[in-house]
Amino acid sequence: MKKDETRYSLEGVTGFISDWSADKETFNVPWGKAMMWIFLLSDTFVFSCFLIGYMVVRMSAVDAWPNASEVFALEIAGHHIPLVLIAIMTFILITSSGTMAMAVNYGYRKDKKKAAILMLVTALLGLSFVGMQAFEWSKLISEGVRPWGNPFGADQFGAIFFMVTGFHGFHVSIGVIYLAIVAIKILKGHYESAGNYEIVEIAGLYWHFVDLVWVFIFALFYLW
Amino acid sequence: MAIAVVLILIVIGSIVFHFVSPWVMTPLASNWGAIDDTMLITLIITGIVFIAINFFIAFAVIKYRHDKNRKSKYEPENKKLEVWLTAITSVGIIAMLAPGLVVYSDFVNVPEEASVVEVVGQQWSWSFRFPGADNQLGKSAIEHISIDNPFGIDPLDPNGSDDVLVTGNRLILPLDQPVKVLMRSKDVLHNFYVPQFRVKMDMVPGTVSYIWFTPTKVGEYEILCAEFCGIGHFNMRGYVEVREPQDFDTWIQQQSTFADSLAKNNSEILSVAAKSGEELAQTNGCIGCHNFNDSSVGPTWKGLFGKTQTLVNGEEILVDEDYLRESILNPEAKIVKGFAPIMPPVDLDDLQVNALIAYIKEKGGSQKSNGEVQKETPSGAKLVQSKGCTACHSMDGSKMLGPTWKDLFGSQRELASGQIIEVTESYLKESIFQPNAKIVEGYPPVMPPPVVNEEEVVAIIEFIKTL
Amino acid sequence: MEEDLEHDMHEPTSFLTKYVWSQDHKVIAIQYSVIAILVGLVALVLSGLMRLQLGFPGSFDFIDPSAYYQFVTMHGMIMVIYLLTAIFLGGFGNYLIPLMVGARDMVFPFVNMLSVWFYLLAVIVLMASFFVPGGPTGAGWTLYPPQAILPGTPGSDWGIILMLVSLAIFIVAATMGGLNYVTTVLQARTRGMTLMRMPLTIWGIFMATILALLAFPALFVSAVMMLFDKTLSTSFFMPAILSMGQQLDHEGGSPILFQHLFWFFGHPEVYIVALPAFGIVSDLISVHARKNIFGYRLMVWAIVAIGVLSFVVWAHHMYVSGMNPMFGYFFATTTLIIAVPTAIKVYNWVLTIWNGNIRLNVPMLFALGFVSTFTIGGLTGLFLGNVIVDLPLSDTYFVVAHFHMVMGVSPILVVFGGIYHWYPKMAGRMLNETLGKWHFWCTFLGTYAIYFPMHYLGVLGVPRRYFAYENYDFIPESAKDLNAMISVMAIFVAVAQLIFIFNLIWSLFKGEKATDNPWQATSLEWQTETTPPGHGNWGENLPVCHRWAYDYSVPGYEEDYLPQNYAGKGEEQKT
Repeated sequence: MKKDETRYSLEGVTGFISDWSADKETFNVPWGKAMMWIFLLSDTFVFSCFLIGYMVVRMSAVDAWPNASEVFALEIAGHHIPLVLIAIMTFILITSSGTMAMAVNYGYRKDKKKAAILMLVTALLGLSFVGMQAFEWSKLISEGVRPWGNPFGADQFGAIFFMVTGFHGFHVSIGVIYLAIVAIKILKGHYESAGNYEIVEIAGLYWHFVDLVWVFIFALFYLW
Repeated sequence: MAIAVVLILIVIGSIVFHFVSPWVMTPLASNWGAIDDTMLITLIITGIVFIAINFFIAFAVIKYRHDKNRKSKYEPENKKLEVWLTAITSVGIIAMLAPGLVVYSDFVNVPEEASVVEVVGQQWSWSFRFPGADNQLGKSAIEHISIDNPFGIDPLDPNGSDDVLVTGNRLILPLDQPVKVLMRSKDVLHNFYVPQFRVKMDMVPGTVSYIWFTPTKVGEYEILCAEFCGIGHFNMRGYVEVREPQDFDTWIQQQSTFADSLAKNNSEILSVAAKSGEELAQTNGCIGCHNFNDSSVGPTWKGLFGKTQTLVNGEEILVDEDYLRESILNPEAKIVKGFAPIMPPVDLDDLQVNALIAYIKEKGGSQKSNGEVQKETPSGAKLVQSKGCTACHSMDGSKMLGPTWKDLFGSQRELASGQIIEVTESYLKESIFQPNAKIVEGYPPVMPPPVVNEEEVVAIIEFIKTL
Repeated sequence: MEEDLEHDMHEPTSFLTKYVWSQDHKVIAIQYSVIAILVGLVALVLSGLMRLQLGFPGSFDFIDPSAYYQFVTMHGMIMVIYLLTAIFLGGFGNYLIPLMVGARDMVFPFVNMLSVWFYLLAVIVLMASFFVPGGPTGAGWTLYPPQAILPGTPGSDWGIILMLVSLAIFIVAATMGGLNYVTTVLQARTRGMTLMRMPLTIWGIFMATILALLAFPALFVSAVMMLFDKTLSTSFFMPAILSMGQQLDHEGGSPILFQHLFWFFGHPEVYIVALPAFGIVSDLISVHARKNIFGYRLMVWAIVAIGVLSFVVWAHHMYVSGMNPMFGYFFATTTLIIAVPTAIKVYNWVLTIWNGNIRLNVPMLFALGFVSTFTIGGLTGLFLGNVIVDLPLSDTYFVVAHFHMVMGVSPILVVFGGIYHWYPKMAGRMLNETLGKWHFWCTFLGTYAIYFPMHYLGVLGVPRRYFAYENYDFIPESAKDLNAMISVMAIFVAVAQLIFIFNLIWSLFKGEKATDNPWQATSLEWQTETTPPGHGNWGENLPVCHRWAYDYSVPGYEEDYLPQNYAGKGEEQKT
């Protein structure tokens, strides 16, 4: 191979390749963070396939698709409010992303207590999201929505709903447990020796991903 | 060194094999010679590469075999050579792709003058439908499928009445006439494949797919299913016969149409038309006021047809088809004595009215006898073909998926349970209606219950007895 | 950021932590490989049974159509997923990546260990389907609905459920392993090991792992949807249909949706098998011809290009699926485009041995066997990729011959070649050369005799997935003789693999003891201090990489190879 002239940076495509193919590591991040990003990329493909499958199924369904605003409405104090539960759930999840970001910030400042508490708050918000989703499930099930049919319209509505929200809710639940464990470990001082709280940021990445997926589900499933 | 010799022998052997091999494409019987030509272009280009690469390896292995006094050349790359090789390869690729896409576009765009035929696949047999004089196939749907309506044609679609129905796994086509083959399936994926025609396509339940071709040679060609469709996949046979146009015309005149089967009720209480009438009576609300009991808001339909009704003005009329038609479309014209003039007019077309009339006639019974409904005695030999039984049962003793029928009746058989039974008529009947009740030893429990009625079963059993 | 495993690496001491619950990538690699080979032998036996029926129809009572289709399905699924994918990624990937990039282990050894145990669980669940009522699924490895979950297809109850569950578990395992492989290559290379100095083996496995992480999701989703269609009567893939004469509850689903999802996974899958083979064969040829790989940079770009393009060709498996015919234009074009980087790789392999100094030892024989068989397999792919030519050939034996050549023959030859090549490093002993040559010749000649003529059956129009071919007028009698001959060769090749199995086990105890670098190769795995490499691979100090992996016969040096960690005679570092 030709001799290295790296005392000066190379130009053009060769320079671009040389920069990115540098030795030891490609991205200036800890291993755990790189691994989480790659995992999230793979998981993005999973949810994309679910959502694309949903859109195909919706377009090819023979019966009319149920009206999401009606199906997901609640009666509160005599008022019929469409999509209210979903709105609250979305608000909670986005807020939890906010508390998570704050936790990451405190993590970098090595403020163990604040970081851990904010993580626990995030986990709690996540738990309430899951709880509300469970309530939504039980309400729809009591109204006759099943994977194989429902009284509101196309049979596939229930199938898609349970499948997509089920996988998303599963991811949120895992996240809640993950956040709780990390928070407790922080409080117990397990990360003192390493001296850094990258783990908080890595958990944060997962949590933001879960939130972002919800935004897409919300838009494509509840608003369309 | 042996590897070099072997590679050279392989190349030579492969070339020789290619030219002496008796396994070549079936003789072309359609217009798609262009496919054969494109395949030949591909063969030539890929053949050249195959020979070149293998010879090159052999040559290199000989010339550059291990010699401890020699060092290999140090040659990390050779830009010029790499560019040339990429360019030549790209040219080769284009040389194959371009003609391929041109011929493909001929396939995708069906000629205007193509006639239409429909192929319907099911586990494990074929049936066919022509659009009839109006050149339109009637709409079809799974929910219309019944014993008397195996194609599932919508009885209320006027385009369907003249559709020519062909069962029995044999399709006749006219020579030199381009034909667009529309394909659908009743159950799982199948694929209509006739090697001599070259083109094929999957038949997908829930959609309609197509191919087109022009048969160019008179003859009989085998149909094979080319998409795995269950254990009967390998035996889902059919035939396409290409005949001179006059012979085809004669043949098609002799086939029955869907209209003939509208009145059939071999298995059900109601004929195909009357079943539609039943649905109409419900969806249009007729049942709200008319029923088949003795009292109702409107005149009862029980025993209505053929009856003599007294109108409000004292006139007596005979309830026949014309009267019923008028009363449906224009209820005010004749009011029956003792009933209020409150029936709203219903907007229905001819077919729908006929269906309602059939329903009233059949369900309500009539004062005349029921001799109008035709009942043809089905032939056992034909039934076992059209129902697909012969996909798994042989008649000549050869072992297939299911027990052979030769010498079956009256014989003793051992069941999977160990029990020995004698093959009687009642056993055969049970085995047809409930195939899994008694499984014969050595055979898998995979027989689907065929869609047959009492009369057809009797005919089939009689046929089996003759073998 | 440098992360040092050293201070928190506890060397395992008990038998269980050393060989069973091991987090050492080398042990995990061997566990993957052993399981893969064992389950591959099961699939080999199934293929023998299939060929018995095809060559000698009716001779064996227990092979009825139901059993036959179950053999077809299980043979295909095991070979593609549980053998080839597992052994290339989990076997070769696990063993070679840390060693070749100069790392002590994978970045997350615990997750790596979980990956192999999940893989074992997936295999157990799959094998369990042989013992459930109805037996394993017989829907074909492609598992197309509606037939896969309906009566009329064998194993449409428990069989298909266990298959789908097993695949889901495998995907979890593959993801856990895949994350390790990708992150280790990206982030844990040693000093001086730039991406463009990595051996092509690593590039091949690296790219294949990225494909796996992005393609398996589609299979996962389609498996979940089919599981729901079967167990919960949903209608993702099920339109309104009859089954056994009765209309089912489903409606509105699309069988073609499954095919799109499946092949969006399925096409990258074949490159997940092929790319590691490409990488490994480049290294085998280079080492044993004592010559640098020709056109390393273009080889790397070809691997990347093939990987990227593999995501836009999937519907060439669906030309006759009944999808919108307009798609045919697009996919035929992309498919034929992907042939270009693939062809370049073939040219570069043969240009590597040109002007080389070729040692015809067992690994080299297998490598050359690969180039020859992959060439023919790839070329027949051009027939199938060109949409109009695919119409008569689809679903015939032409397809079967093509995919066996490119998936079953060539990559397997590379697996063998790779094992003969790296066994000395892994076991500290050489595999027996004579037995190896017998194994090579029987396998190479035998598989050629099986699959070359098979193309002609396809040209004739003989369909695939047929239990028997009795009484078809267009099939001449001679085809039956051909089928019989192919079956005999298949049994012969299957039995010949026993030579290999014997060699593996015998050499472990009686093989000639191997030195640290018996092939005099340049890559880092051969430069370890001990053979087999110890815990942590490198002893006290990690190696430092000074050059690319192909400094063979460098002018000006007496040795005909320069290891990657060789600093040179006072020269500046090489790129």
